[in-house]
Amino acid sequence: MLEGLVTKLADTPWSIELHESLYMYAITESTHVIAIMLFVGSIAMVDLRLLDISFRQVPVSQMLSKMLPWTVAGFVVLAITGAMLFLAIPIRTYHSLWFRLKCVMILIAAVNIAIFTFKVERDKAAWDLGPVPRKSKICAAISLSAWVCVIVFGRLIAYNWFDCDNINSSTLLQLTGCPADSG
Amino acid sequence: MPLYHAAQSIEASALGQAIRESTWLFPAIESTHLLALALLGGAVLIISLAVLGVGLKSSPAEIYKSARSYMNGAVIVLLLSGVLLGVSEPVKLYDRQAFWVKMISMAIALGLTYFAFNPMVRRGSTGLRLRSVTLLTMGAWLMVAMAGRWIGFS
Repeated sequence: MLEGLVTKLADTPWSIELHESLYMYAITESTHVIAIMLFVGSIAMVDLRLLDISFRQVPVSQMLSKMLPWTVAGFVVLAITGAMLFLAIPIRTYHSLWFRLKCVMILIAAVNIAIFTFKVERDKAAWDLGPVPRKSKICAAISLSAWVCVIVFGRLIAYNWFDCDNINSSTLLQLTGCPADSG
Repeated sequence: MPLYHAAQSIEASALGQAIRESTWLFPAIESTHLLALALLGGAVLIISLAVLGVGLKSSPAEIYKSARSYMNGAVIVLLLSGVLLGVSEPVKLYDRQAFWVKMISMAIALGLTYFAFNPMVRRGSTGLRLRSVTLLTMGAWLMVAMAGRWIGFS
């Protein structure tokens, strides 16, 4: 079903125009990179506070309330430009092993954020300036590692090592959803 | 064109060849470059937001003390990984306008950061001049990032 949707997407004039445009694709990629600086940069600073490594004079509640709006702003730009980049090259990206791994890491990061927001930070008043509890450090460590993976996997989408016409192993074919006769 | 000849001999160097011939090396260095860029973005952002009065309430000088090691670390990794990327394809870079735009904006960004922004923040400066320097510094780094990504397209 997804496969059909992606194929239809690739035939839309929007996809073709984005793909063939002289500047729009490059502008979208560059904006995606700048938004990474805003998004991952700000979330890394928050994580370093939650790990009790840096910015210890800043209350945790203030770190969250003052920095996370910028993280959200970065995410909005990343989501829009990311969707545009997918739209420009839908079929190849859909089958990309790196893209799929990136999605898994984003999912892990999202679940981690949900756990932090709805459980871990509930009693943050108790540790606003004191020692940060272990549960919060674990969330911060997962967040940092997940976003590092997202950046690396995202960068690797550009490489064709595991493109449908370059793979033969049945495991890779299964993971990428490539047709068996494509190798 | 001595610069072009220099590019040719760097391209022929053992290091340049090694990076070009490896499947994983260039992407690995590229990813490191990008991770350091994100860290630099965070360090510059957290100080700048405090300067502009829209971030943390502590004094920018105090935030700078915590953030500067990340800023310096990121800049060092960016420079080292950037040199490695450049060494692997200097002849291509010589011909790319985006590369020269990036080099010029990088010189401006480094100059603004280390000779204006950082010293002013450390000194506890306030006012319009610091805010202008802050916006210029952020803008210069954004330009570096944009031009850097553009090298791959031009």
